[in-house]
Amino acid sequence: MPKPYKAHTAITGPLARRQTLRDLAQVLPLFVVLFFLFGGAVVLAVLQSFGYAPWFGINEFPSTHYYERLWLSADFWLSLGYTLYYAIAATLIGLVISIPLSIALCARFKASRIFSALIRLPLMVPYSVGIALALVMLGNGGLLSRFSAFIGWIDDPAQFPLILRTHWGWGIIAVYVWKQVPFMTLALAAVLVRKGDDTHEAALVLGATSSQIFWRVTLPQIMPGIVSASLICFAFNIGAFEAPFILGGGYPDTLPVLAWRYFQDANYAFQLQGMAVVVSLALVSGLILSLYLLAYRRYERARGRV
Amino acid sequence: MKLKGHTQPRDFKAINPWQRLLVLAMVTFTIAPFAPLVIQSLAFRWAWPNILPTVWWHEQRGLSPLPLAWDYVFSSSSRVAEATANTLGIGIAVTLLCLVVCLPAARVLAQSNFRGKSQLEFLIVLPLLLPEAAIGIALLMIFIGLGLAGTYVGVIIVHLIPTIPYMVRMLTAVYQGHGTEAEDHARVLGASRSQVFFQVTLPMILPGVIAGCLFTFLVSTNLFLLTFFIGQGEIITLPTLLFAKISGGALNATGAGIALIASLPGIILLFFTDRFIRSYPLAT
Repeated sequence: MPKPYKAHTAITGPLARRQTLRDLAQVLPLFVVLFFLFGGAVVLAVLQSFGYAPWFGINEFPSTHYYERLWLSADFWLSLGYTLYYAIAATLIGLVISIPLSIALCARFKASRIFSALIRLPLMVPYSVGIALALVMLGNGGLLSRFSAFIGWIDDPAQFPLILRTHWGWGIIAVYVWKQVPFMTLALAAVLVRKGDDTHEAALVLGATSSQIFWRVTLPQIMPGIVSASLICFAFNIGAFEAPFILGGGYPDTLPVLAWRYFQDANYAFQLQGMAVVVSLALVSGLILSLYLLAYRRYERARGRV
Repeated sequence: MKLKGHTQPRDFKAINPWQRLLVLAMVTFTIAPFAPLVIQSLAFRWAWPNILPTVWWHEQRGLSPLPLAWDYVFSSSSRVAEATANTLGIGIAVTLLCLVVCLPAARVLAQSNFRGKSQLEFLIVLPLLLPEAAIGIALLMIFIGLGLAGTYVGVIIVHLIPTIPYMVRMLTAVYQGHGTEAEDHARVLGASRSQVFFQVTLPMILPGVIAGCLFTFLVSTNLFLLTFFIGQGEIITLPTLLFAKISGGALNATGAGIALIASLPGIILLFFTDRFIRSYPLAT
């Protein structure tokens, strides 16, 4: 049985070291899992994209051949453009909806629990369900097209404006927004609840108008929530596969779909090209996210919060 | 979660008309598309431009006792039963594994400071910031080499990637909320380490642990891309089955049925876990 005094004297030499070792042992499994899954994936992806694949009989490391071929083709930049366009448009629309929505739902009216539960539903189901819903609503034979026929706008499914399978990506963006508004709303509501009502009431008492309160009090307060939620959604959108695959406009595809097509090619050598796509995607995503975080830090510093 | 000042919840009219409009519009946008999905799965004939089916299933029940779509969904050839079993089994395994890996680490992250802590925290959120397709394709190469592609073990391991960040965040927040006083008292009173954990710590953090597990389970059951890449078509789950059904860009009645089945775990969790999922610390 341990002696009682140990709990409070654990700061001295050998005991402190034992505590540190115990801490280390407890963090280790997590570290090992993440380090090997990520470290392994990153190292291998980079090696392969530079032409190292001895198991296919290809070893031209280090060769920038795959990047050159990729970056010099106009289609790659078009793909990158589409990928960024869908990701950014969906994230922005999601934010524009979820900021006022989270404020409204935090007002705690009688039915707010039911409404917030209903709005949370998309968070709980797979993306492919959202895609199925987009097909049944927005397709040319879908419900919106039927309604248009009902009110006499069109008299043939082909006349319905193409929402899915265009490079405008309305369907893709709709699915992302449908799925991510609940996530953003919840994240923002958590921040709103934590900050409480005090500053809001103080501003009200001091005679601020509701638009002043929104722009000068609430928005700066929930900025950390906005940044973290939009970071996660943007990063997800840029790497999403199934929505652009099913609802997208076909060639040139978004980068994840392009990588997958290279990967599925009967010619193994194309896998290295696919890896170059994947690494480029990760680089672009990392670059944008760091710029975003940098801008946010400057904003916080300008407000004197950091 | 209690609000200061307002003891009585107010009427729906407490928020201004624009907010009311926004809330109602978003509820409609969220829920309404499920209606045609249900209708389609029960329709017998539903051609364009009819807004409702011209022939419903029950008008043809002489031909088939079940709606055709559901008859197919429940038959063994649709593989829905297999996919459901896989989804739930993988979800439970991932949740337990994730808990075992994350619970001790979350305690350390919440209660002690060490060199490299911020780097470790960055490593933990990295899975949320790297494109999933990039991780999936890169890991697929390694898993093919290790013989893990297309196996349950491979799929379960790869599901850890998107679940660990959430689990660690939620458990760290739970530990931070409790402090260490109760444990210290128990130690002073002579309790052993395992006694402290099982009789003091665990009962205190249990609600948070359950919330973390439910959320992890949910993320795992909804995961498509990593299952699709690493499962190599050998391991089918509800999301991959649904993807295979709709990847042609059209949704037929059986697709609608499978989509409804695939939403069931989420809907059930939504109704039964309202209070657990309510306050998870997403925005920390």
